[in-house]
Amino acid sequence: MNGVRPGVWQRLRRDQRAIVGGGVLLLLILVLIVGPYMYRVSPTSLDLALVGAPPSWQHWLGTDENGRDVLSRLLHGGRVSLAVGGLAVAFALLLGGSLGAMAGFRPGPLDTVLMRATDAMLSMPTIFVVITALAFFGSTLGALVLTIGGTAWMGLARLVRGELLSIREHAYIEAARTLGQSGWALFARHMLPQLTPTILVGVTVGVGTAILTESALSYLGIGVQPPAASWGNMLSTAQSYFTAYPHLVILPGAMIFLTVVSVNVLGDALRDAADPREPG
Amino acid sequence: MKRGLVTVVGALALGCAGADPRERGTTLSLPLINDPILNPVIAPDIGSIMINKVIFPGLVRPDEQLRPTPDLALSWAASDDGLTYTFTLRPGVQWHDGQPFSAHDVKFTFDQILDVHSGSRQRSDFAAVAGVDVVDSLTVRFRLRAPFAPFLSLLGYNAGIIPAHVFKGRRLTDAIDFSRARPVGTGPFQVADTRPGSAIILERNPAYYGTPPKLERMVFKIVPDVNVQVAQLRAGELDVILIEPANLASLERDAAIVVREAPIVQHYYVGFNQRHALFASPVVRRALGYAVNRAAIIAGVLKGHGDAPVGTIPLALGDYFADSLKRLRYDRDSARVLLAQAGWRPGTDGRLRNASGSSFRFDLFVDKGNPTREQAALAVQHDLQALGMDVSLRMLEFAALVRDHLLTGKFDASLIWWTTPPDPDQWAFYATGQDNNHVAYRSARADSLLALGRATSDVVRRRAAYHAFQAHELEDPPVLVLFYPRELLAMRADVDGFPRLGLRDALRHSERFGIAQDR
Amino acid sequence: MARYFARRLLHALTTLFLVCTATFAIIHAAPGGPSVLADPKLTATERQAIERRLGIDRPLGEQYARWIGSVARGDLGNSFLYQVPNVQAIRERLPGTLLLAGTALLAAIVIALTLGTYCAARPGSVADHAVTVLASAAMAIPAFWLAMVLILLFAVTWGVLPAGGNITVGGTGSLGDRLAHLILPVTVLSAALTAELLRYARSSTRSALLQPFVRVAQAKGVSKTRLRRRHALRNALIPVVTLIGLQLPRLVGGAAVTETVFSWPGMGRLGVEAALSRDYPLVLAITLVISAAVAVVTLLVDIIYVWLDPRIRLART
Repeated sequence: MNGVRPGVWQRLRRDQRAIVGGGVLLLLILVLIVGPYMYRVSPTSLDLALVGAPPSWQHWLGTDENGRDVLSRLLHGGRVSLAVGGLAVAFALLLGGSLGAMAGFRPGPLDTVLMRATDAMLSMPTIFVVITALAFFGSTLGALVLTIGGTAWMGLARLVRGELLSIREHAYIEAARTLGQSGWALFARHMLPQLTPTILVGVTVGVGTAILTESALSYLGIGVQPPAASWGNMLSTAQSYFTAYPHLVILPGAMIFLTVVSVNVLGDALRDAADPREPG
Repeated sequence: MKRGLVTVVGALALGCAGADPRERGTTLSLPLINDPILNPVIAPDIGSIMINKVIFPGLVRPDEQLRPTPDLALSWAASDDGLTYTFTLRPGVQWHDGQPFSAHDVKFTFDQILDVHSGSRQRSDFAAVAGVDVVDSLTVRFRLRAPFAPFLSLLGYNAGIIPAHVFKGRRLTDAIDFSRARPVGTGPFQVADTRPGSAIILERNPAYYGTPPKLERMVFKIVPDVNVQVAQLRAGELDVILIEPANLASLERDAAIVVREAPIVQHYYVGFNQRHALFASPVVRRALGYAVNRAAIIAGVLKGHGDAPVGTIPLALGDYFADSLKRLRYDRDSARVLLAQAGWRPGTDGRLRNASGSSFRFDLFVDKGNPTREQAALAVQHDLQALGMDVSLRMLEFAALVRDHLLTGKFDASLIWWTTPPDPDQWAFYATGQDNNHVAYRSARADSLLALGRATSDVVRRRAAYHAFQAHELEDPPVLVLFYPRELLAMRADVDGFPRLGLRDALRHSERFGIAQDR
Repeated sequence: MARYFARRLLHALTTLFLVCTATFAIIHAAPGGPSVLADPKLTATERQAIERRLGIDRPLGEQYARWIGSVARGDLGNSFLYQVPNVQAIRERLPGTLLLAGTALLAAIVIALTLGTYCAARPGSVADHAVTVLASAAMAIPAFWLAMVLILLFAVTWGVLPAGGNITVGGTGSLGDRLAHLILPVTVLSAALTAELLRYARSSTRSALLQPFVRVAQAKGVSKTRLRRRHALRNALIPVVTLIGLQLPRLVGGAAVTETVFSWPGMGRLGVEAALSRDYPLVLAITLVISAAVAVVTLLVDIIYVWLDPRIRLART
């Protein structure tokens, strides 16, 4: 990738955390993509005669409280959870990134207005609005992505604005400006590459938070709706079966844990690689 | 690091040393899910209704056969035409504030119940009442618009009596001090303390008119999460809770807990909106009735804690339940035959199609968050799809489901239930054009049978009418009845004195509750 | 100084107005009405009577104007669900949330600063690694799940701590009893926050320790402990203080789940109940109160910030 601060990728490649975190994450994504094609058991097909069964040849990880296949639900649910996490952050990035860029690129009245709005959003206990909004849209995948992303963009907006404000003071930007480059070209050619590491850090951490948010919403009954599975709603439903069928609690919990930890570890490595002043 | 650790350990030690031992033997704790409204006339939710049954007795209360027996009224007599009921009240009864109870309180209560602007939540129960007259301070007369057989059962249901002297012209909904902090009833327990969001503490009413209560205190603790209620029961912080079949597994091996079943007057059903052409024909509705494997739902979802149905009148109503009729059975072949009769045949892909080629598709609504209903809905969807129907599940919050779909008639099918007073009257639910007949069922025969059952107070004739109604339901089903659930009451093993009734009705006998000392 | 504060106050008020309007718009965009209308047994007449009593039969514009008007007079309206003035409902529940969130915040700050500065001084040590791993774990566990595990272990299996509530009902309400009720919910609510603050504290202390002036001090023979206290701690505090203001709405959001699992009588749970049952006035009132609290805390944070880092001048904003 051209134009990124020199050394970032080299440093990243040497960082064990990046290798472990990124490796686990890639493996997970691969398994979730390929898994459902290899393990062809329906995640929603009920068998009320086979409730909470232990692992067997038909059901590799046993069945849940409705006699549905646990492994299949983990695979399909993982796709949903990662999709919610990834897409929500993508939406937050779109919103926060563009607002932050608009604000930071040209300080002035627009900047003030945008930052007031960001402050207002930051000071709001968004969970209550999220609950209401989800009741409005229904907890579909799209609605979850929009509401989780729509209440998580403020940090990214501030991050991008702050970075831009500091970048635009750099000498070479001044030079480019005096050479007569237009605003957009200036932004795309010189500023965006500088921003990339910052954005990446924000995004990785955001994915973990979004996955956890979906599980909390599931606990309150407004996450991904059954019969569709998500790790969050599997974990939340399993609360009733803590002592009876512990595997129903442990498995989705472990998946969430593994994903969020590896995302965060990767984020740490990225942060350090992007900002070598900060020692490890 | 050390400092943090010391703080934590210190707090832990303090916690163990300082924990107050619960006063075992004199206090019984039950859960609520949020702060109740302590006024039976305006209480909108089940939690409030429950606690109000302890604080505010009614004129009568149900015994273990669900028959009305004396409570605040000692005796009563109905006129021959069934249009007036005269009650003789118990003398010497005192309100919790020491004022005497009288016929004026009864009249006040029912005036409020019948006033559409009072915030009353019981008006539809007593729509048949034209007015209440005070004959003398201990005699009160109800005038009815038409003979109304369920009247006495309803008096013993949610209609607790409230004191006239406390309100003095204030609206019930404005008397916040009453409904949130210091309610005044006549029950065996009175409010000692209310802690918003935390607990309502009731103490024994020394002036109670009946058998003196065995307990010193009843505590209604606010515990919103049912899994946490189970944990608190096991930890000894709650004594009696209602559970879902899903919770049974975690209580099975705990010797300190017993689970008791009680029949309750409920029927769970899938209501098919008969405003839609798809469900207009009784033949199709009968086919749907054959298509669902109820036995599997009762065994798998209810873990056996439910009964197979005949019609909409549940087993808990005793003689009114038509035991001689055959229970609904699961028979896919009959379903296919009936569907074919109605013009629905499976295509080459297995999907049902009618003559014009359209498929049998509809949305099935269910409220979310309740595992029993969610699982039952999944099972129904599964069974109907196996027959070639195209069923989409729509899970919604209960409030949104009722408000936006049920009440407005904008739904295809919905899995829901009725909890009814201990009386077979179902006029409001299944008679043509009634407000609560959400599925828009119309049947002249059902109308006449339900009207007869409602008007006659002769038990034998009533029973015959309702048995005939259930037989009619097999031919022209108003809804697809799924099962009659049994209430699962989990309690600490040393709790005793609970009458064999559902919790709602049992709470009308709270003076009998106790905790065995010999354990 | 006075002008600076006047301007901050104006900002805060604008923010509050925006919050109110946005919240009003969003909750009224949801279809239908409040759940008190959702009783399947209500007749049409009864529904209309309730709508009239609650004032929700009026046009939205009128409802909005009325509401803003009453807020300006300090009246936050009445709850549909609990049928009490919202001010009373909030007053009843606010202390619970303040106690829980306050303790959690305090615990998070103390633990994060202690561990953060300790680890920063020993990068790569076993303790440093252990703390880093623990912190990563704390940030990756769903709160409701952690809560349930703790309840099952401490309350059900070992019976050493209560499973919920803020006090033993019918007990003496001793300090020990109250503390015992606080331990589990505070642990759950502060876990992720502690981990996050800890990471910030560690990295900013670390950079501070590498600054030339610290090295000089070290060379001069200033003791390590003293160094940590005098120089490192102050540097570690700066990002932590910045974060605190932003944590408040999140703490309340987290409190919504924690309070539900632990049956804790607080405002987070009240807000969830209000939102789920479409109790418009209560949702609005709670949002307003929390946003106002955030505004006040932000102002305080700014003051502390200036005090901590004299380089930052008031002219900054």
